[in-house]
Amino acid sequence: MMNNLNLLRLLQITNTALPVGAYSYSEGLESLVEAHVIYDQTTLKHWLEQELGYGAIKIEAAIMLRGYRATEIGDLEALDYWNNWAKAARETAELREQSWQMGYALRRLLEKLEPELSKEFNSLSQEVSFAIAFGIIAAHWEIDPSAATLGYLHSWATNLISASIRLIPLGQTIGQQLLSKLHSPIVETSSKILALTDDNLSSCGWGLALASMAHEIQYSRLFRS
Amino acid sequence: MNEISSDKIASSLFSEWHGKVNLIYADRQKTTQLIHNLATAPLKVQKPFYPEGTDICHSVILHTAGGMVGGDRLSFDVQLQPNAKALITTAAASKIYRSNGLQAQQNIQIKVDSDAYLEWLTQENIIFNGANYRQDLRVELAPKATWLGWEITRFGRSARGEKFITGEWRSYTEIWREGKPLWIDRQWLPAGEEIINSPHGLAGQPIVASLVWVGEKVSPEIVEKARELWQNQPTFSSKGEAGVTQITEGLLCRYRGASSAEVKHWFKGVWHLLRLCFCDRPSCPPRVWQ
Repeated sequence: MMNNLNLLRLLQITNTALPVGAYSYSEGLESLVEAHVIYDQTTLKHWLEQELGYGAIKIEAAIMLRGYRATEIGDLEALDYWNNWAKAARETAELREQSWQMGYALRRLLEKLEPELSKEFNSLSQEVSFAIAFGIIAAHWEIDPSAATLGYLHSWATNLISASIRLIPLGQTIGQQLLSKLHSPIVETSSKILALTDDNLSSCGWGLALASMAHEIQYSRLFRS
Repeated sequence: MNEISSDKIASSLFSEWHGKVNLIYADRQKTTQLIHNLATAPLKVQKPFYPEGTDICHSVILHTAGGMVGGDRLSFDVQLQPNAKALITTAAASKIYRSNGLQAQQNIQIKVDSDAYLEWLTQENIIFNGANYRQDLRVELAPKATWLGWEITRFGRSARGEKFITGEWRSYTEIWREGKPLWIDRQWLPAGEEIINSPHGLAGQPIVASLVWVGEKVSPEIVEKARELWQNQPTFSSKGEAGVTQITEGLLCRYRGASSAEVKHWFKGVWHLLRLCFCDRPSCPPRVWQ
């Protein structure tokens, strides 16, 4: 289990103050709000729950764990394999950019905080995705894999709720109520991800792909995805 | 001894098909020849034909039983040798019937050698309610090889109001080059009211479709033209949703809607556009589509 130091490290890596620019991405929510598909707490909650149950975030978190395990055993080939996989599996150009930009920001930060991780980062044949960068640091800081997965999903949910608070708009209290309601689906998804085989890395991607493609041509927008 | 005979009885009772197609195309002085052609029941491959000159070979695969049931397995193994060019389609829509408890599986392995080009333009798949289906399509591209594929899937016989309420569908498509994935698309739809009605899933629409072109980087202008083809196309019985995006070495189109005529019209337009941009020639729709 986690000791106090591990817990503090988990809080650091999942905090919204982590300077990776997560606040500037909506992952298609901006176009869904514009199209009135998402317009209140209920419709937002449904979307986030479906994403946790069947969507891309489940795959992202599963790839984060694969990056974690590869780092843990020093398998740089596997680390590169899953980083390439993460890039090839992203739904759209914008979502791929998001993963690279956040991954790049996290890499730059970690090169200052933990210079010995340059071996992992330099072994990659292309830009590090955010999920893999997160997996590298979670393993290096010996955060329990289950806690790292919960933290990854929690920080994703927090970012998208705060984007929606600005977009829909919703009150801050409603945002926090929604986050509380997502705790149980996050726990459920997290335990599924921990048991997910490579062959079951699959998702129902139609809604997210179309929303993100629509965002790529949205005329007026606040967010970069 | 007893075990073997009871196995035989079981397989004949269920009469599962294990059909295979193995095709190898080769370039012989600017003519693409089908140099190896093997098909076992229920699959057949029609005689190659050349409606647009000898350099592109058209092949039509036929499923003589009309559809797949649980336990059926179809395997396709296709290779294009250097410089060969081929268009492969199917003679009719493929039906995946309600499952008897077993999964119906289709496995497609494709290898495209350098400077070769394959267009894999199959007709739509109709997934009956209760079907349990898995398709794996894996493409290995050599450097400078190009791939165009599309897949149109209808969930439920929607004309008679059937919906995909029970069953499971998986379609895994992966395109690799020299040990690196260029595009991984692993779609999964566990049937049910919530997912087929959710805006995150099928949004109440029976049809989803993807077109993917992989070979080299596609300019934003071509992406924009593919979007315009959608925006400017005539109205069909209903208007679905569609989008286009760049992938690292190509272009991806997605559709979700209710009209196969609508998505086919758009995809044919994008195919024609890609042919003009990258092959310097117009598209040539096979007669079997009419």
